[in-house]
Amino acid sequence: MDKQFFKAAIVFTMILLGFSQVATTVAPLTGQQIMTRVDDRPNGDDRKSVLTMTLINRSGRKRIREVEYFSKDFGKDKKSVMVFKKPADVSGTAFLSWEYDDPAREDDKWLYMPAMKKVRRISGASKNEYFMGSDFTYDDMGDRNVEEDTHTLLGEEIVDGHDCWKIESIPVNPEEMYTRRLLWVCKAADMVIKAEYYDKDGLLKIYKVLDFRRQDGFWTLLRSEMDHVARHHKTVMRMDAVRYDSGIGDHLFRVSTIQRGAIR
Amino acid sequence: MNLPVVRLLMVFLMIGGSAVQAMAADTGAAWMEPFSLSGWADVIRSMRIRAPNDALTSRARLRLALDAAFGALCGFVSADAEKNWRIEEQTGVDLHEAWLEYAAGRWDLRMGRQIIIWGKADGVQITDIISPPDYTESITRDLDEIRMPVDAAKFRLLGDYIDTELIWIPVFEPAVQPSGDNPWAIEADVPETVRISSKDTVEPETTLKNSEIALKVSAYLTGLDVAASVFYTWDDDPAYHRTTRSEGDTLFVDYTPRHHRLTVFGLEFSRPWSDFVFRGEAACYLGKYHETKMIDMDPIQRDLFKWLGGVDWTPGNDWTVTAQITGADMIDHDAHLAGETHATMATLRISKKLLNQTLTLSNMLYYDLNENEFYTRSTADYALTDALHLLMGADIFCGDDGDFGMYEDNSQIWVKGKYSF
Repeated sequence: MDKQFFKAAIVFTMILLGFSQVATTVAPLTGQQIMTRVDDRPNGDDRKSVLTMTLINRSGRKRIREVEYFSKDFGKDKKSVMVFKKPADVSGTAFLSWEYDDPAREDDKWLYMPAMKKVRRISGASKNEYFMGSDFTYDDMGDRNVEEDTHTLLGEEIVDGHDCWKIESIPVNPEEMYTRRLLWVCKAADMVIKAEYYDKDGLLKIYKVLDFRRQDGFWTLLRSEMDHVARHHKTVMRMDAVRYDSGIGDHLFRVSTIQRGAIR
Repeated sequence: MNLPVVRLLMVFLMIGGSAVQAMAADTGAAWMEPFSLSGWADVIRSMRIRAPNDALTSRARLRLALDAAFGALCGFVSADAEKNWRIEEQTGVDLHEAWLEYAAGRWDLRMGRQIIIWGKADGVQITDIISPPDYTESITRDLDEIRMPVDAAKFRLLGDYIDTELIWIPVFEPAVQPSGDNPWAIEADVPETVRISSKDTVEPETTLKNSEIALKVSAYLTGLDVAASVFYTWDDDPAYHRTTRSEGDTLFVDYTPRHHRLTVFGLEFSRPWSDFVFRGEAACYLGKYHETKMIDMDPIQRDLFKWLGGVDWTPGNDWTVTAQITGADMIDHDAHLAGETHATMATLRISKKLLNQTLTLSNMLYYDLNENEFYTRSTADYALTDALHLLMGADIFCGDDGDFGMYEDNSQIWVKGKYSF
């Protein structure tokens, strides 16, 4: 084969590659794909932080909840422990959760109650309970499976200076607490930075990220708030002492560890 | 433990703990970080629903706890101070728990005075008999206040899914029953021709041979917790052996309360499904002594089989419902025995949180299906602040002369304040 043919072949291949590149760049992502990107956002193999929630009622009265949080990936599954530090009457309460990637498999959860000095198996399905009187449900705080909703891309908007995708998420199960959610996903961070939660009566809650930044190479949520419009109640959540890949031992996620009444 | 030592300990806890925390806060000194002081203070006063409408419960208590963690080594000490205006002998200070623990990766060892709770049951003891109960105020105290610590060494081998627990209790600790002027000490009616006297309770001496030993293997699997246990123990409640003599028409009965050896084999499980958690527990008490119907007849030894089935339901919206049915079946029942061949009881706990979880309304019902008697405890718990709770409630006993009915006159309403720090 002569040189001319090789040149033509190379030019043709480059054109093809160029077209495919353009096609990849311009092909719009679907809502499902965007939410999968959010779900798959890198966050290390393990992580720990101190989470402080300030609960503010309609008259401005504040209550403080403080939780030490540890989590670790085990393949596609995740194990986490939350140890309550404040308020004093629930200090030492520990919540252990083994969350499975397979949506058909129910999560395993245990609760250690220091007053009872006992670990109890709790139901893995009660995700719609509000977490410690805050405006976040367990589901809002946890990793909701992407397949549990139908996600539709509605368009693009700027939120607080961030270029975002606007997604509508409707639960597959019509019995769920929210009838739909509107989510604004920051394109740069693959993070939901604003959300509106609706139930059958209309707008229920508005979620806003107040501060997020890249730490140790991972986009990290530092401060957010959930405004429960219907209850005139607000929760401001702050994350401190965030650390990734610190080598948390597997033993931390055993029932026997929370049974001690202290995580160490 | 004698009173001056415990008082000293309380002072040490209060001053030492507060000083450590204050210094840690002021200076940020790293060496003080392992220490933390916590506790609570509460005051409760009740009024009997029936005449004479007096204060059946009237006490104030302070609990101080200091823990220190140095890596794998951890220590914990807690003590109580109580002023009781109704049951004077309860006034004083007392060491609650005091233990040291070393936690390695695959095992841990906790030695000292500690509370050990077993089982899956809620408010009912089936296999959960390591820490004995304190029934000074019957079952009207909170469940965590009823359990007493034991001096023990607890060693655990820790697997990823299976734990093996070995407990050695060298010093026997009996259950506490109300006595003397305590309004919860209800004496049985005896005929006028009978005179009762009682010797001191015969408790096992503290020797190696008289130790109690427990072994439990627990598995925490996907969707299922199971455990099997064996406990070589002493019965927490004494059997009332008796000697009798007659003088004319009068029968003199002299009780000698004595604790007996028991071997208890136990099984337990819990399994979640959707919004529910199903629980079960069973235990076989070998060597148990039972009271007889005859005032002049010694207790009789019969093995006892206790069981429980329960379900927890969390339907959402801050509701919690727990229902249980429990039974005690005597093996080879004797017609002379006071207890029935099969005793069955049901419990129902309903709880609802309101006002952004600042108000908790709850009710716990115990219903004796054999005697048609019940005890119900209703509570409203309002969080005035994160630290300060105001509680109000009612303890209602209803029935004839069974375990609940005998306290019918002690039904009470109460108010309680609790400050946690």
